[in-house]
Amino acid sequence: MKYLSVKSSFALFAIVCVLAFGQVAGAQTVKVDPGIPSYTKVTGVSGNINSVGSDTMNNLMTFWCEGFAKFYPNVKCQIEGKGSSTAPPALIEATSQFGPMSRMMKSKEVDAFEKVTGYKPTAIPTSIDALAVYVNKDNPIRCLSIKQVDAIFSKNRKCGGGGDIGTWGAAGLAGDWNGKPISVYGRNSASGTYGYFKKKALCKGDYKDTVKEQPGSSAVVQGITEDLQGIGYSGIGYKTSGVKAIELAKTVEKGCFGPSLDNVVGKKYPLGRYLFLYINKKPNEALDPLRLEFLKYVLSKQGQEIVIKDGYLPLPAAKVSELRALVGAS
Amino acid sequence: MPKLWKPGDAYVWISGLALMVTLVMIGGLLFLIATKGLGSMWPADIGRYALADGSSYLGQLQGRELVRGAHGVKSESEFRVKLKIGNRDLYGLDFKWIDEADIASIDYPRDAVILERHEWGNYHGFLKEIRKNGQIIPGGDPQAFSVLKDLVRDANKIHAKILKIEKGEIGDINYGIEKQRLKLRGLSMRGEDDPAKEAKYRLKIEKYEARYKISEAELEQLYAELNRNEVVMSSAGGDEKVMPLGKIVMAFRPNDMGFAQKAGFYVERFWGFIADEPREANTEGGIFPAIFGTVLMVLIMSIVVMPFGVIAALYLREYAKQGLMVRIVRICVNNLAGVPSIVFGVFGVGFFLYGIGGIIDSVFFKEALPNPTFGTGGILWASLTLALLTVPVVIVATEEGLASVPRNIREGSLALGATKFETTWKVVIPSALPAILTGLILAIARATGEVAPLMITGVVKLAPDLPIDGHFPFLHLERKFMHLGFHIYDLGFQSPNAEAAKPMVFMTAFLLILIVVILNITAIIIRNRLRKKYATSAV
Repeated sequence: MKYLSVKSSFALFAIVCVLAFGQVAGAQTVKVDPGIPSYTKVTGVSGNINSVGSDTMNNLMTFWCEGFAKFYPNVKCQIEGKGSSTAPPALIEATSQFGPMSRMMKSKEVDAFEKVTGYKPTAIPTSIDALAVYVNKDNPIRCLSIKQVDAIFSKNRKCGGGGDIGTWGAAGLAGDWNGKPISVYGRNSASGTYGYFKKKALCKGDYKDTVKEQPGSSAVVQGITEDLQGIGYSGIGYKTSGVKAIELAKTVEKGCFGPSLDNVVGKKYPLGRYLFLYINKKPNEALDPLRLEFLKYVLSKQGQEIVIKDGYLPLPAAKVSELRALVGAS
Repeated sequence: MPKLWKPGDAYVWISGLALMVTLVMIGGLLFLIATKGLGSMWPADIGRYALADGSSYLGQLQGRELVRGAHGVKSESEFRVKLKIGNRDLYGLDFKWIDEADIASIDYPRDAVILERHEWGNYHGFLKEIRKNGQIIPGGDPQAFSVLKDLVRDANKIHAKILKIEKGEIGDINYGIEKQRLKLRGLSMRGEDDPAKEAKYRLKIEKYEARYKISEAELEQLYAELNRNEVVMSSAGGDEKVMPLGKIVMAFRPNDMGFAQKAGFYVERFWGFIADEPREANTEGGIFPAIFGTVLMVLIMSIVVMPFGVIAALYLREYAKQGLMVRIVRICVNNLAGVPSIVFGVFGVGFFLYGIGGIIDSVFFKEALPNPTFGTGGILWASLTLALLTVPVVIVATEEGLASVPRNIREGSLALGATKFETTWKVVIPSALPAILTGLILAIARATGEVAPLMITGVVKLAPDLPIDGHFPFLHLERKFMHLGFHIYDLGFQSPNAEAAKPMVFMTAFLLILIVVILNITAIIIRNRLRKKYATSAV
């Protein structure tokens, strides 16, 4: 592999990473938890599925719908994914039955929902996403701490890092990289990924004005593919051969971890999150068969296999059985 | 001294130069799109890349660049290659960069097979064995590949049958059940207690459900048939994979194909791209629904925008008293043409979707609530929004046309005793028709390329049903639809498999341009005919 030289403050930390952890695990090693039940067909399911929400989950929803429609050829899906912030209004206006969101609803959004319906929306975690920090495939950097990430992306550095990091030299690379400015890519503010990254990696600080905001997760990855000095964040499902997902460390002492299933479930990787489906469920009232069966499908072996196909991480069996009870699918 | 240039000649030259630059730019753009898009469907040879570390990959060459060292410096002589290695289920990614220094050998085995699959992208490997009706045909058999091809063809026939049942029979059943269900719901919502009616609806639903059971059994049988035969493949690294034939779209051996064969294959694939439905969250398969949606939307828009635009222009030019008011209106119309399209989109959402759509739902589709029928984006609202967007273009063009009708023709008509309306209808409008159609051509060109307002008024990533089908009233204006422009955006910026989707982006862009050209040429041909027809009468 490529030789990597580091600055003193970074040295110990990087060596730990290199010694302890190998490359980021590829998608093919992930398997669905065998404890998750397989989906079986029932009768009496028909109608339209309307979904409005997250862009990160856009393809996931499409895959689920394609799979669900194989069981019920009479079900049709219409999916819109312009960002998580579009989900709550659509649920409130009842223009959709499902609101895929890549973050939790904010209390403001929950209040708005409650004001109209009289009860809170129900959130169902469907899968796990590791938000990866991508760099160009030729970038030798291996690992960054959250403080460093904050110093790269944020202008007010609320995570308490030292000075601003504006060049790859400041981020620990040597040689030709030393003087090269970092070119930062991000998402637009309607995106749940934007909000999540701001909260978790920037400690709710503000993004730098120089962040190039992209209209989609895939656009971030493509930008970095073309830009040698680029860095950006997107779901792990968007990885391509042109970029590298680097390891992250909560703090320098805790060491670096890549965005693999074990690291995310074990809470070692700092940017793991659930991907939610929000629904409008009246308390103490059963869901209609269409929504119930769709959720059962998502929380089944087949549904979770699709999660892997799209590059995300499946739920553990214990969580699945808990959720199945929540939606009323014993 | 004689003048070398006639006065004003320089300006002619500058105009000519500007025109040339424009043409070169258009040509360059088309060339780029065509090469990047059209080239991607060519079945390129597949090489076996054995690496120094013992691993090997079967891949199609996608690109080559200079290696960049650890310090970010470009090497001067070392290259690396980008391969499409397929087998996403095995490797995790479809593409791989390999340093040429690491490659031990490359050869092009004639029996390397590419399988295009319904899921997980392409599979690159070698045929190990075929399990046909319990009988095993080893991959070494010279007939094995043609057996595989026949089996894939059979499987595709079964797929076509399945599709027919799903879209035809089951589509009918669903439509029927949904209608009866809504009637039932309507009964209970109105608080009517009519057991006879209720029983009637329920009986109908039961009948439909019985029909559904039959089709379902039929489908199950077909699916079983799809999965009966299997093919065992082995990858370049030696990993084996068993696949039911129902999962395979097509099988081919690019290294074993001559140029003519490849060309034939190319045409077949291109047709598939135009005529098939998308698969795998739009990253594979065809784009037929998007083409259909785009054309239909433009047609609906034209039907709406023409009468409104023409009537408005007629009033402004022929009937209204020319004064301050008319001038203000005219300025407003011209300004409207310059309003950003997204503003129209927002207006469409607020006025059409939530306003009119909400009212329609609460009056006519009460039973379906809270699921909106017209209260959500749909092809009608998208077309109307675009009609608003393009109406200024039509008004301006029509006014120009009306203004150019000579005064003596009108006076002649009036002198012969025609009323003002008759003159307008029979004399003025026919003479102005070519100009009106020019307006329409401009409107179509603008509308076809517009994406932003559509994104919020009814275009979706994947709409399972076309807005036209066999159920009364055949044209379903409330349905959401797919659109080529949005498809480009979606594939380009949102697709999870960005590398695999890239050629699709260029292909889709190519088709969009093609459609704009076709729509425009049609309108131009009609205009020219009209011009000829009225050229004689106008003089």
